[in-house]
Amino acid sequence: MLFSSVEFLYYFLPVVVALYYILPQPKASPKWRNLVLLVASVVFYGWGEPKYLLLMAAQVFSGWFFGLLIEKFRGRAGSRAALIGALAVGLGSLMFFKYTDFFVANVNGLFGAAFKLPAIALPIGISFYTFQILSYDIDLYWGKTELQRNVLTFATYVTLFPQLIAGPIVRYADVARELAGREHSLERFAGGARRFVLGLGKKVLIANVLGELVDICKTNGEKSVLAVWLYIIAYAFHLYFDFSGYSDMAIGLGHIFGFEFMENFNYPYIAKSVTEFWRRWHISLSSWFRDYVYIPLGGNRVSAGRHVFNILAVWFLTGFWHGAGWPFIIWGVYFAALLLIEKFALGRVLEKLPAFVSHIYLALFVLIGWVIFDAHELPVAFERIGMMFGAGVDGGAGGASLYYLRSYAVPLILAAIGSTRLPVLAVTALEKKAPRLMTALEPVCVGALLILITAYLVDGSFNPFIYFRF
Amino acid sequence: MTKARTSLRSVLTAAVFILIIGGFFILNRAVATPETLVSERRKPAAFPELTVKTLLNAEFMGGFDDYAADSFAFRDALRTVRAFSVFDIFMQTDKSGLYRDADVGAGKFGAVPEDAIRRTAAKIGAVAATLDGLNVYVSVVPDKSGWAARDYPGFDPDAARAILGEELPGLTYIDVSEALDGGSFYKTDLHWDQEKIVDVATLLGRAMGSQPETQYTANTVGEFSGVYPGQLALPMAQDTARYLTSDATSGAAVKYLDDKTLKWVDGEMYDLEAFSGRDPYDLFLRGAQAMITIENPSATGGRELYLFRDSFGSSLAPLLVSAYSKITLIDLRYVDARALPMLVEFKPGSDALFMYSSQILGAPEILLAG
Repeated sequence: MLFSSVEFLYYFLPVVVALYYILPQPKASPKWRNLVLLVASVVFYGWGEPKYLLLMAAQVFSGWFFGLLIEKFRGRAGSRAALIGALAVGLGSLMFFKYTDFFVANVNGLFGAAFKLPAIALPIGISFYTFQILSYDIDLYWGKTELQRNVLTFATYVTLFPQLIAGPIVRYADVARELAGREHSLERFAGGARRFVLGLGKKVLIANVLGELVDICKTNGEKSVLAVWLYIIAYAFHLYFDFSGYSDMAIGLGHIFGFEFMENFNYPYIAKSVTEFWRRWHISLSSWFRDYVYIPLGGNRVSAGRHVFNILAVWFLTGFWHGAGWPFIIWGVYFAALLLIEKFALGRVLEKLPAFVSHIYLALFVLIGWVIFDAHELPVAFERIGMMFGAGVDGGAGGASLYYLRSYAVPLILAAIGSTRLPVLAVTALEKKAPRLMTALEPVCVGALLILITAYLVDGSFNPFIYFRF
Repeated sequence: MTKARTSLRSVLTAAVFILIIGGFFILNRAVATPETLVSERRKPAAFPELTVKTLLNAEFMGGFDDYAADSFAFRDALRTVRAFSVFDIFMQTDKSGLYRDADVGAGKFGAVPEDAIRRTAAKIGAVAATLDGLNVYVSVVPDKSGWAARDYPGFDPDAARAILGEELPGLTYIDVSEALDGGSFYKTDLHWDQEKIVDVATLLGRAMGSQPETQYTANTVGEFSGVYPGQLALPMAQDTARYLTSDATSGAAVKYLDDKTLKWVDGEMYDLEAFSGRDPYDLFLRGAQAMITIENPSATGGRELYLFRDSFGSSLAPLLVSAYSKITLIDLRYVDARALPMLVEFKPGSDALFMYSSQILGAPEILLAG
């Protein structure tokens, strides 16, 4: 089920909120409310992928069961074996469902074989919930979190519908206390509602609209410099508003149900270097790889050569996590190369440059990265990158690209402004100057935005979530 | 003081949120779903069948998505809110290709891929090859977007003409653009207004060596609201529907092919009952029909016209009646070209005209030919 759908907003959510808050809530034992969330999450996931409910249940049970074994054999070899078992099941499932076709295709390509591609469908959200389960077992093995003996509570953690299918990747250690007992307040509920509606607006009013522009640019056949720049700028904003909007919705829903999820984005497009960009983009994934791959490999407390290897390994895996295709791998390695260049050569230079130069540098290399990311095959990426700089184009601008630039100018400008801190600064300033006005303005804006979003959903529009495929 | 204000704000924000999601939850149950979505000219999606099978294969969920959107309370008002937002807040110049233009009213543009035109041409060519002894012509109905105040990207009739010329070298192309302008079309619909296309009929007739009459009586039927106000979900001034008559049209005998019994049934050239139906453009020769014949007993010479057409042909054909003893309208979307020898006896020396709009040129797969 999509957050940005009529059935979620006006059927699922009202029922779940009502059931959740009707039930008694002893602070020390939210088991009934956890059960409501568990059942709701199963319905939420099963709505789109009923056949994969069993797979998710099996993975939940396996993660929980290996946790029991890790604890039972703590200090002995059995504990390590249990962790290896957990990793094998989790990563094995991920490899099978996400990467089998990729490996078979590459074996065919390399050795001239003709194995039939099994065409295994990717279960929605498997990359996210697998990483959540793994974080629990690894943290438990390292002694960073406590055992969860109740399988239903563990299942509630993994399947929690606000963040089940597109993150943020919530670690068990971060919500363990809230699963055992959490506070609810009107302030928290209202803040969650506000954040949810804002995220929904980012998704429906900006990301979807710019997604249409991306599709138009990719299919209208015009080969001009303006057309390819329009495409890639629209795609960059589309991706950001789609994914950060989803994260906002997840965090907002978390607040409504008493949870505090980590922030996943921090205005990445205002960064002045690639290093800074990756501290601000998909933070829960970057920190996951940092804590569970980079640091265990030795991080930066190793020789220079090993340090380079660690960075390359992490970014190879980051690219591969995003998709089973060479463009994703190249995209990951591309950022590894940029990070290494900044670390060993360019970092200090960038610090001394005027801010606008650094911003242009960052924008250029991130946009090239998105071209690779969005290409189904590498030659397409190379062709588009060439077109960005005038290679293989029919001209600077065509009638179609000029028309669409005009038609999408306002959404693009809103997206550019919305990618910065300006809106937050404006609201903060207004809050200081006219707090009474804000008391009235906030609910009016939330209501108006929700009605406007509903109008877009009811009228039907372009509405996929990009990160569902990861 | 600040805390009190913050709390009031939270109370109001939470209340608004709950009122909207809870309110629509209740309203969607309380308000009955209409039998027809009038503005969209279609029936709403029904509540899907709920069985174990439809749950497991997710058919129920897919059906429920459509049902939930179609049966949403105040659907039309919300669609209007979205249209207002697209055009007046986001200042976009179209909504998924739908536009409202100062010169030509509302319309829809869409690119017609070159490949699609070539495939349509191949189908036309295959049918034309079977028309032995006939003078075969081809023409294109331009989109009204071509006369809009803004340059909308989309169908280019000149490019289509060039492609058809390449693909169909044996056919004579007739360019009707010079007989049209932005005012030749309804402002609320994609079709041309019969009252404004007498010159098109004259031009076509001359190109095919005949002389259709040019004097008609205009008969007003009523207000005409085309497809676009509903698709755009915006209020628009309505057009006026008029149809043209003359002695030739009044004296003509019209027969429709019943596609179930394959028998010819007598009918009217202008169907006033159909005008009140779902699509008022069905006034002209009853809209979507596989085949129609119009016989003109007052014509001399016995020359016939075989008009391979789409919906634009319905309002054009009556204006060509005076020039032919018989016109046979053939819509290859509803009748397979392979069946034509059983249904039509093509008369050597007569004319055949393939005339299609961009909607057909861009969708060759819907033509049952080739």
